[in-house]
Amino acid sequence: MAYPLNRRQFLQISAAAAGTAAALGGLQAALRSAPAAASTGTLAPTGEERIVPSACLLCPSGCGLLGRVVNGRLVKLEGNPMHPINQGALCPKGQAAPELLYNPDRLTGPLRRVGERGSDQWEPITWDEAVQMVAQKLTEIRAAGHPERVAFLYGETRGQMRPLIERFMQAIGSPNAISHDSLNIEAAKLAVYYTQGVYDLPVYDIENTNYILCFGANILEAGRNPQRTVIGQSYMRRGRAERGKIVMIDPRQGITGAKADEWIPIKPGTDVALALGIANVIIRSGLVDSDFIHNYSFGFEDFTDSQGKKHKGFKNFVLENYNPSQVEQITGVSATTISRLAGEFAGQAPRAIAMLPGKGGLLNGSITGLYAAMAVHILNALIGNLDQPGGVLTQRYFPCAEWPPLPADPIAEQGRAAERLDGAGTRFPLGRHAYQAVADRILEGAPVEAMFLYDANPVYETPGGLRFADALQKVPFIVSFSTFMDETALYADLVLPEPTFLERWQDDAIEGLGYPGVALRQPMVEPLHDTMPTGDFLLKVAQAMGDPIAPAFPWDSFEALLKDRLQTIGTDWDTLKELGAWFIPGYRFARRGSQKWVAEVVGRDRQSAPRDGRFDFYSRELLCRLDGLDKEKLQALGISTSGDAVFMPHYEDIPYAGDETEYPFVLNVITLMSLGPYSVAANMPTLQEISGMTVGETWDSWLEMNPDSALELGLRDGDPVWVESPFGLVRTKVRYVPGLRPDVVNLPHNQGHTAVGRWARNRGVNGMILLSPASEPATGLASFTNTRVKVYRA
Amino acid sequence: MTRWAMVIDLDKCVACQGCSIACRFENNTPVVKPNEALKGRAIRWNDVFPFPTNPLEADPGEYPETKQRYLTRPCMHCDNPPCIKVCPVQATFRDDEGLVRQNYARCIGCRFCTVACPYGVRYFNWAAPEWEGSLAEHLNPDRIEGPGDLEGPAVRPKGVVEKCTFCIQRLHKARARAEAEGREFRADEYVPACVQTCTGKARYFGDLDDPESTVTLLAKSPRAFRLLEDVGTHPKVIYLREG
Repeated sequence: MAYPLNRRQFLQISAAAAGTAAALGGLQAALRSAPAAASTGTLAPTGEERIVPSACLLCPSGCGLLGRVVNGRLVKLEGNPMHPINQGALCPKGQAAPELLYNPDRLTGPLRRVGERGSDQWEPITWDEAVQMVAQKLTEIRAAGHPERVAFLYGETRGQMRPLIERFMQAIGSPNAISHDSLNIEAAKLAVYYTQGVYDLPVYDIENTNYILCFGANILEAGRNPQRTVIGQSYMRRGRAERGKIVMIDPRQGITGAKADEWIPIKPGTDVALALGIANVIIRSGLVDSDFIHNYSFGFEDFTDSQGKKHKGFKNFVLENYNPSQVEQITGVSATTISRLAGEFAGQAPRAIAMLPGKGGLLNGSITGLYAAMAVHILNALIGNLDQPGGVLTQRYFPCAEWPPLPADPIAEQGRAAERLDGAGTRFPLGRHAYQAVADRILEGAPVEAMFLYDANPVYETPGGLRFADALQKVPFIVSFSTFMDETALYADLVLPEPTFLERWQDDAIEGLGYPGVALRQPMVEPLHDTMPTGDFLLKVAQAMGDPIAPAFPWDSFEALLKDRLQTIGTDWDTLKELGAWFIPGYRFARRGSQKWVAEVVGRDRQSAPRDGRFDFYSRELLCRLDGLDKEKLQALGISTSGDAVFMPHYEDIPYAGDETEYPFVLNVITLMSLGPYSVAANMPTLQEISGMTVGETWDSWLEMNPDSALELGLRDGDPVWVESPFGLVRTKVRYVPGLRPDVVNLPHNQGHTAVGRWARNRGVNGMILLSPASEPATGLASFTNTRVKVYRA
Repeated sequence: MTRWAMVIDLDKCVACQGCSIACRFENNTPVVKPNEALKGRAIRWNDVFPFPTNPLEADPGEYPETKQRYLTRPCMHCDNPPCIKVCPVQATFRDDEGLVRQNYARCIGCRFCTVACPYGVRYFNWAAPEWEGSLAEHLNPDRIEGPGDLEGPAVRPKGVVEKCTFCIQRLHKARARAEAEGREFRADEYVPACVQTCTGKARYFGDLDDPESTVTLLAKSPRAFRLLEDVGTHPKVIYLREG
């Protein structure tokens, strides 16, 4: 190595020093550099080193990882440069993931409850016993003829694990594979479904767009895919010659609003009106893409149906009801601003995006949430940016090998045909999942004989989650696969810990870029504890149950299932293992009206409406589900209008919980980059330490409040306060946040745990206990932004 | 000669704190107790915070025209570092390649340097670092050995001052790799952990003495500025302003 100062260099310096006029100063300098020379050491050998690729699971981005493993210990994670979502980058959660792996509060083996439910008394059992107990229980339930009384609640699960859970439940004979999507992304997915006919999140071509209207999409802090949006916006702003513009529309400025060119503090819950106001201006100004509108869409103009009945189309509906001055009344955004935004947006067509949030204000307890998401998505269609560079793309996936057919099984067939426990599709006619409603249904008396919880902590993570604790008391057999003893696992009969994502095999779909891709998780280190991947466990249970369940799952491990199912992706297993990700870059655009367009881009997943490649401004899918409902029934679904308006996005008043005079502030529970959405992150001390960076807090919760509103209540920055809603009361401290509407307060998510571990427990407050537990009546979505609170000094 | 420097584009930085935590896991900075963290004694060599730090100095503007800024701050590795001048035991020094380094074995914990540094990037170990239970398993085992020397990610004892080294062990490793492969070491073979992990790709690293390097070119940007340029420290961390 070149840089240690050797004796010769030292003498040279000394000689130079002696030769100068300022001899003394020079000598001092030489002496000062002497210890530097002595301090330059060499790197000691560390031992056997390996680099293992994998993918993160501390938020839904699923970033690629490279783990540095020294002598069998994981010592550092870096982003995998091969993974297209993060391209080598990694956020603080991913960086801190070794604290998850080596967390001292992890469960070390399978447990059976011995004390009262929730009393945290357990005895260790073996995995064989656990498999037998679960298999026997499921066999009993099936023998009794009611397999639909088994429910499987799961979280943000992608890749093969999601279809395995669904398939397992189908084989058992239950329709109740219930995802927690209704707590976050479901509103956006449904909106795309009811307009474009694709049941998936839209993909935004951020790198090639010139303009983004972020409707509550907190792209730099949270959301469904924050790493993808962060890296995309970096490129859009500074990576290319022309800098794109970003407009953040949200009651809270946050980091996204601070970094954006413009922040519009819209009145909460009124995004639908703003989007329709913008649509109004675009239509009036003739800035629509008329080729798209007239040839590839439905319901833009007025039309006459096959029975000769006249219907109003989207154009006239919007022109009549949503001119900018009307919208100004609803949203608080000035008519001038609305017109300007419309011009800026449509002027960049098709390289402009109206972006949906993963969650944002869409979950507001009213069908307005769905309508808002539809209206935002429709803005994209108006300027014809679907499947255009710089516009909205459709996520494609690799085809997977077929599942083995389900054996003929009358018990299962009967069970599968039963109504879903959460009421999705029946009680909630427009929904697909209503995770939080499971508690209500059980408390109403819906029979559940067995419940499985995978990546699911409903007692903590649902609004009014404590009612889950009551509901779970009515379920005779509960299995949690949690890695930690979380709030919900405490109520389980069996806790069968899954290893962390750093110790197991699992695939992940690479979503957010449009083109198909798969990432692979593999064990970076030997599993630390006596844990079992849940995929393996389900396969073992299926085998133990024998006919007719076992033949549907002919794999002896989840790894074998992955190898089998992923054989069609175009590479071999060893390559996938070595690279950690496999994808076919380069999005292939579909020509409008082509076969590919009809099969993949517009109408792909429609169940009732025609798959004719036409985008619905007037939702035919909604028409199929809601047509013929009388005014009363519509009102029960929260729709106050009737006629054609029902099938088009429009503004409905938000049913706030809490009277405005008594509870003056709208509560917004926000997710931050540091702690993210998953309970386990709250037990990672490093993330706790950095959790309050934006306001200078650490290891605690705080209430964000506009300084003027706080001063009106006599509250200084940092004062302790009570936050009270009609449902609960918490004590925290107020922090001034100037970039916030005066009538909104924010409470960061993922504090206030009562379980999980030593660092998460009894720290800060959980905003969920303040929120309305009601589900939105039409879609079954949870309510996150329609609860009012009052704030007073503690 | 190589003169290591970093450029941070504040327009691309989204204050995610990935840099802070990449640094922690690369350099074994401890998590301090919550009450210590509240006193501002957290040890994150590269911290991220709202700027300006003093809310009285901040002018967020009138709602809704508010503006919040964030800063990410590693050691500036000054060409004229005040911390060196005040060290009574020469525990801190500027090496041939412009890195301001700290010899923990020499440090007596007087904290003169923490006061002298105008950027506040020198961190004192008020308590012995602790990793509860199995958490110590993830510590970076890299160790730099020399006569009476202790540097790099080796865990620091209570009572010494520690600071950003631009991940000197990564530089060592990159050099060793080049040597093992029998070729010249190139300046672009090494970046600190914070640069590697940056979610917004806002950080650049390289040799300021190389007229063609990315950092040299970016340092000439009209957006370029250094923190507290007027105090004469000549920082080698160069920021590009927003907008």
